[in-house]
Amino acid sequence: MAKSDDCAHILQGLLVFGNVVIGMCGIALTAECIYFVSNPHGLYPLLKATEHSDIYAAAWIGIFVGLALFALSILGIIGVIRASRTLLMVYIILMLITFAFEMASCITAATHRDSLTPQLFLKEMLERYQNSDPANNSDSEVTKTWDKLMLQNHCCGVLGPSDWQEYTSAFRLTHSDADYPWPRTCCVLDAQGLPVNLDGCKLGVPGYYNSNGCYDAISGPVNTHAWGVAWFGFAILCWTFCVLLGTIFYWSGIEY
Amino acid sequence: PLPTPPARLPYVPHVPPMALLGKVTATTFALERPRCVFDGHADASDAVWLAVAFANASATFRNPLSRAEVPPYQQLPTAHSYMTLETAAAAYSCSAPSPPVLRVGSDTACRDQGRQDPCNGPLPSPGPYRVKFLLMGCSGPKAETWWSEPILLRRAVSPSTIDPAPTRRGSAVVVIASILASLGAVLATTVLGALGAKVWGSLCRQDLGTDAFIRRSYRTHHIPPALPQPLRPGCRCSPPGLCCSAPQAPAPCQ
Repeated sequence: MAKSDDCAHILQGLLVFGNVVIGMCGIALTAECIYFVSNPHGLYPLLKATEHSDIYAAAWIGIFVGLALFALSILGIIGVIRASRTLLMVYIILMLITFAFEMASCITAATHRDSLTPQLFLKEMLERYQNSDPANNSDSEVTKTWDKLMLQNHCCGVLGPSDWQEYTSAFRLTHSDADYPWPRTCCVLDAQGLPVNLDGCKLGVPGYYNSNGCYDAISGPVNTHAWGVAWFGFAILCWTFCVLLGTIFYWSGIEY
Repeated sequence: PLPTPPARLPYVPHVPPMALLGKVTATTFALERPRCVFDGHADASDAVWLAVAFANASATFRNPLSRAEVPPYQQLPTAHSYMTLETAAAAYSCSAPSPPVLRVGSDTACRDQGRQDPCNGPLPSPGPYRVKFLLMGCSGPKAETWWSEPILLRRAVSPSTIDPAPTRRGSAVVVIASILASLGAVLATTVLGALGAKVWGSLCRQDLGTDAFIRRSYRTHHIPPALPQPLRPGCRCSPPGLCCSAPQAPAPCQ
């Protein structure tokens, strides 16, 4: 009898420890997802226009899952210490529901990260940037976001300024190729926002225009966002799986 | 008397070899600026023109005999050639400081306003085009260069040809999805199994808790044993300690 009491105490201790870790990870997940949802790099309008903004939905789910994990971990600790069958059964069922939601969030974030290819952003930029006939507000948002992106990161287009030459675009409809081989924001600008050498920029003289593409500036934060949600959620779920298995075993051993 | 044919200068106009992203666009192209080519043939009052013709029309191009016969930019669709970039010959001399490239097609204003001056307007179609420089004096053409190689302008395609689908599904998605799905399935079956075992056990077996290893912590209270109370007068009861219900008003038991 003393031996099984020791085993029971060890199991109780492990479960309490497991729940403490789950609680802390839940808080961390909530904090991380709030950071992503707050759109620190200003890329949300670009993603919304591509209709692949589900990594934001995954982050929103992550916020609530994190809070739920924290609350459930407290419930679990109380249930384990008091060895209460009803509390633990409620805990297990709610944890399974939370597990399912977090699973959806992880898979969504990972899947939609894969669909954010350079071609997707290129197509959206060509069709929406400086679209003078905005059927909806999102095109002017896209234009503002691209201008800010190109000015801050000293880049042009998605893969380079030749994007504007290889494809026709909404920009090309209102800006002639001779005057604007690429937008003015692709030129090196001085303090007043005017091109340092306009003819040099139009000709593509190195030093007077930005020759690298903006895809790296977009994919860096998007990757951090998506993998932060997906892999951290995956790690939490693996740990939660072990704790839940232990809790089920503990629950089945409680006498009536 | 027939005019003397213009001297043929040993120079072939060409697109500049240096890496310039905009040297050929959809409606413009750049040429390397000829230097020292016209020295020795040009007077101070002469002008150098650039003749632009469609590549298949360059053979039939006839040099204009005077400035009045210069084909203007607007005639390009019909005459298949025009002349532009009228520049003083001194600008192409050896000692002239100048930018190293000329840009053909950079003036959008003269296209729209339809001025009759030599108009360096944007080219309307991808071409290909051939160009040559023509040195014109007061009495007509004095010298010319060779025709260039055909210059083909860029042709832009519609963005609807872009396929935004990812080329291959990343392996991370497969790993995450498969592992999580299996974990979820294991959890669900374990919960159902534990519930089912308990339900079956409570229906079929009477002995409870023989395999339970987790005892609840019962808090025990120490209840002191009750001491026998002395009999109160007026309460004749047997056995002692129990009060019986008498016909008179019952005395409360103590």
